[in-house]
Amino acid sequence: MAESKLEKFKYGLLKLIDVSGFKVFDPVVRLVFGEEPRKQAGEVLKFLVTPVVFVLLCLGLWTVIAPRHKTKSGEVPTPVEVWDAGMIANTLNERENEKETDFALSGSQREAEITLVQQLLAEKKKQSEQLKAEAEKVAAAATEETAAAIAPVQKQYDELKAANKGAKTTRSGEIKKLAEAVAAGSATAEKLLQAIRDDNLASDEARDAEKELKDHMDEIRSNPPKAVKKTQLAYDAAANEVQHLSKRLDYLQKGNRSQKVSQAEQKTLAAMSKLESATTSSAILSAAKSVVQGEEKAARTAEQSYPRTATIWFQVRRSLFTVFVGFVMAAVIAIPVGIMCGLNKVVMACLTPIISIFKPVSPVVWLLIFQIVVGAFFPDPESHPLFVFFGSLPWIGELGVNPALVFSACTVAMCAVWPALVNTALGVSSIDKDHMNVARVLKLGLWSRLFKIIIPSSLPLVFAGLRISLGVGWMVLIAAEALSSSDGLGKYVWDEYQNGSSHSFANIIFACFVVGIIGFFLDRIMIVLQRSVSFDDGAAVV
Amino acid sequence: MLREKRAWSVETGKTDRTARVLPKSVLSIQASLISINPFLLEFAVPSISILDFRRALSLSVLVLLIGSLSGCGEEAPTETAADPSASEAPEVAVAEPPVDPPPAEPGEEPAEPGEEMAPLDLEKDELKFGFIKLTDCAPIVIAKEKGFFEDEGLQVEVIAQPNWKQLLDNVITGELDGAHMLSGQPIAATIGFGTKAHIITAYTLDLNGNGITVSNDVWAKMVENDPALDTPTPKHPIPADSLKPVVQEKLDAGEKLQMGMVFPVSTHNYEIRYWLAAAGIHPGMYTSEDIKGFTDAQVELSVTPPPQMPATLESGNISGYCVGEPWNQQAVAKGIGVPVTTNYDIWKNNPEKVFGVTKEWADENPNTHIAVVKALIRAGKWLDETDSDGNLVNREEACRLLSQPNYVGADFDVIKNSMTGYFFFQKSDKREMPDFNVFFKYYCSYPWYSDGIWFLTQMRRWGQITEAKPAEWYHETAKEVYKPEIYLEAAKRLEADGHIEKSDIPWDTDGYKEATTDFIDGLEFDARKPIEYLNSHKIGNKD
Repeated sequence: MAESKLEKFKYGLLKLIDVSGFKVFDPVVRLVFGEEPRKQAGEVLKFLVTPVVFVLLCLGLWTVIAPRHKTKSGEVPTPVEVWDAGMIANTLNERENEKETDFALSGSQREAEITLVQQLLAEKKKQSEQLKAEAEKVAAAATEETAAAIAPVQKQYDELKAANKGAKTTRSGEIKKLAEAVAAGSATAEKLLQAIRDDNLASDEARDAEKELKDHMDEIRSNPPKAVKKTQLAYDAAANEVQHLSKRLDYLQKGNRSQKVSQAEQKTLAAMSKLESATTSSAILSAAKSVVQGEEKAARTAEQSYPRTATIWFQVRRSLFTVFVGFVMAAVIAIPVGIMCGLNKVVMACLTPIISIFKPVSPVVWLLIFQIVVGAFFPDPESHPLFVFFGSLPWIGELGVNPALVFSACTVAMCAVWPALVNTALGVSSIDKDHMNVARVLKLGLWSRLFKIIIPSSLPLVFAGLRISLGVGWMVLIAAEALSSSDGLGKYVWDEYQNGSSHSFANIIFACFVVGIIGFFLDRIMIVLQRSVSFDDGAAVV
Repeated sequence: MLREKRAWSVETGKTDRTARVLPKSVLSIQASLISINPFLLEFAVPSISILDFRRALSLSVLVLLIGSLSGCGEEAPTETAADPSASEAPEVAVAEPPVDPPPAEPGEEPAEPGEEMAPLDLEKDELKFGFIKLTDCAPIVIAKEKGFFEDEGLQVEVIAQPNWKQLLDNVITGELDGAHMLSGQPIAATIGFGTKAHIITAYTLDLNGNGITVSNDVWAKMVENDPALDTPTPKHPIPADSLKPVVQEKLDAGEKLQMGMVFPVSTHNYEIRYWLAAAGIHPGMYTSEDIKGFTDAQVELSVTPPPQMPATLESGNISGYCVGEPWNQQAVAKGIGVPVTTNYDIWKNNPEKVFGVTKEWADENPNTHIAVVKALIRAGKWLDETDSDGNLVNREEACRLLSQPNYVGADFDVIKNSMTGYFFFQKSDKREMPDFNVFFKYYCSYPWYSDGIWFLTQMRRWGQITEAKPAEWYHETAKEVYKPEIYLEAAKRLEADGHIEKSDIPWDTDGYKEATTDFIDGLEFDARKPIEYLNSHKIGNKD
């Protein structure tokens, strides 16, 4: 009995693996349950261990090759540096979280936090100063070292330059003499021409030699010892932490919400007492006005929330929301239109030119078009009811729904609509004729036909199309966000590119992995959906 | 009723069968085909036999769909048509003095320190400001990070923008409340060159801060042409004369030297044109057809967003550029170019960026505007604070703040180079430039009419203003854009609060700076005589 329960569990697990498309783990499960260990071990070795080893090999190759490729923006970051950059991005996110909590803290909690932060700040300040001193020491040593390295080259360069200059004057003198000789008739013009040509050649050569030395010096200057960068980075990290802690203190004390509210309340009280003691009508009026102002201010402040800076995880959430909106828009258009196309040749013929012309258009063009079109619908975005509504929703509100999100989503929809549409049309038009005949015999109504025959039997293909659509949409979205600077992962990448700091390159590569991994999971979700409506238990999808 | 029920039961039975009988092989083949190339389908569909169905019905659905779509299209214009009428309402109020309480007249005695003024009744306290990743956005960042905005009761978000055009568009659409703008942008928008919108400014963010960088190749050739440059520390200012042979060489080869600037109405555009024209190199004219400004050009200047300048230079698309910091220092740090001159050498203490808002916004939120300017003045003062030896004390902290990835985001060192009073012309050539970034000194944050007039003369000089205008027009236009009354009101309040000294603000000015000859070519600029100034240039339009 227990055996069969176990079996049941095993097959359940296998089914789950199969549906989610992670077929590679199938032999692992079987191995764990002791089914044909030899065979399964072989499978695991072939299809799981080998790929892992291969990926590790790639990482190793990357680690080795990256530092050898020097770009003007620094070396290509290694996997470790990329990981570090990701961790820094994550730290920035955590710092925002801390500041957000600080902003909202009140009462004894706030006071406890203040002492804690003050302690931390004092410690960090000390540490940062030490690091600064060290960084300065290292930098000074490096400057000396560089100067020492350059000095002999500089000397060589100066000597060479002087020698070249001397040679040049001698040659010019000779040429002058030769010219005089030609005038006197004691030499041929040919000889003079040759001498001038030689002179030019010699000058070029001299210049090249000088340039070589100069380049050498530049190279020495632009390659300071590694230690300099390392100590500088360590100091920077500490100084940034100090900066952050003092800002936190600010949010705990002066900038704290509860403090601001009590300040406004005090002001109101002061105005109130003024109102009571005022005698002239104008004084009473102005005091009364400030009381009301103070009350309003206190009420507004109490509702204020911390103005968060967009961090990477926020951008991820926003991108996911945008792609979801765009995808839903695409599906809502594609499925009905696709069904009509599949059912009717004339509709298909009508839409074919539209589909064929608009399908290959680049997302960038759509973006620009939607940017202009969408903007016209929202002359005053902040008070537009649509955005006010979205802004009031719990999770979505904080993502900042604005026209930029709408046109990014429209761009996604525009590019994602085609695969879903075409696949739906194919799915509908390839329904078995017998089924339709039966439906006709039974005199089924349009809706019954639609929901009992057409949609169920075309569903696998519809989902295949939607899966492609989502993939396209995710790809398009990142590009659209980068171009339009609409918040999201695309903007994150673009901002990093524009920052051009020493972490930027690594950050871009980190974002590349984030985009890839999210895209992978989106695809998996669609596979699960597709498989759950499919009737064939065909081969695993990659 | 009964029949329907029977049909229902039959159907359900049938659906199950449908499911089972579906042709698996065909489907899986098609599915695999799709995953290989989804676009193949388009060809496949018409060939598949279409089922017999009520065509008319599906057609009618299609017609309905199209109808509803075109209905949407019809709605759009009505909605946009309603726009102007909606936005006209506040514009009626424009005729009345926009600021309440009434703005202080220039020259009016500022309030006594300590005298209490009625607190500002803010119309709006959550604001969004845009900026471009340049160090001269510092006053906005500092006002936020040092809590000056908060002191005014404002919650401000500061958002990076990808380029100047988008920034301006976002301000016009109301997506942003205000932004860090090029001095030329409010003027150009107001007179309708490029996007038309009435933008005003009541605060000048900074002076100077730009540089012209050329590629290593061009620099090598310039050194060859002028042996005096062949030292690690050549004499400044470097005029464009040694560039002239390089330009000529290119022209002889049938090409034009390509250089970059950041925006058609940017200070950088006028500065690099000024620098080139001062040496007799024609940078090209704008005409009503040629909005790229290439007519008669010997050097072609094209637009590239500031942060992409180094990359564009490195890729060889341009041989030089004029841009703000940190992008010149970036070229030195990366070893891809040599800054030859700064705009401090082209025109000493020239106005650079302003804080711009739409007139509509300013009219709707007069008190908020004053509060914002108050915070900015404090930020500017903080940035230019010096100790008794004249060292800038707060710049290092400012650099630390600006180097955060959500602000300028460049490395601390790179930002520090120019912000703390030094400028690297080459790795071997570090010079003291205490006035490279000025945020408050020399009354610089005051919105001078004369600054506006200089930009207008340059727009006319290079043909962005296509027709001759009388001198009166220059003065009027400058007064439409620059709003010192708001600045003075803010300053008055700050003085009452004890945040600034009386001597920090030019209370009694009429808005025109003294005539100056601090230009690279020594011409005199007197804002009171715009036409004369325009006519004194050798290259460019004359009226």
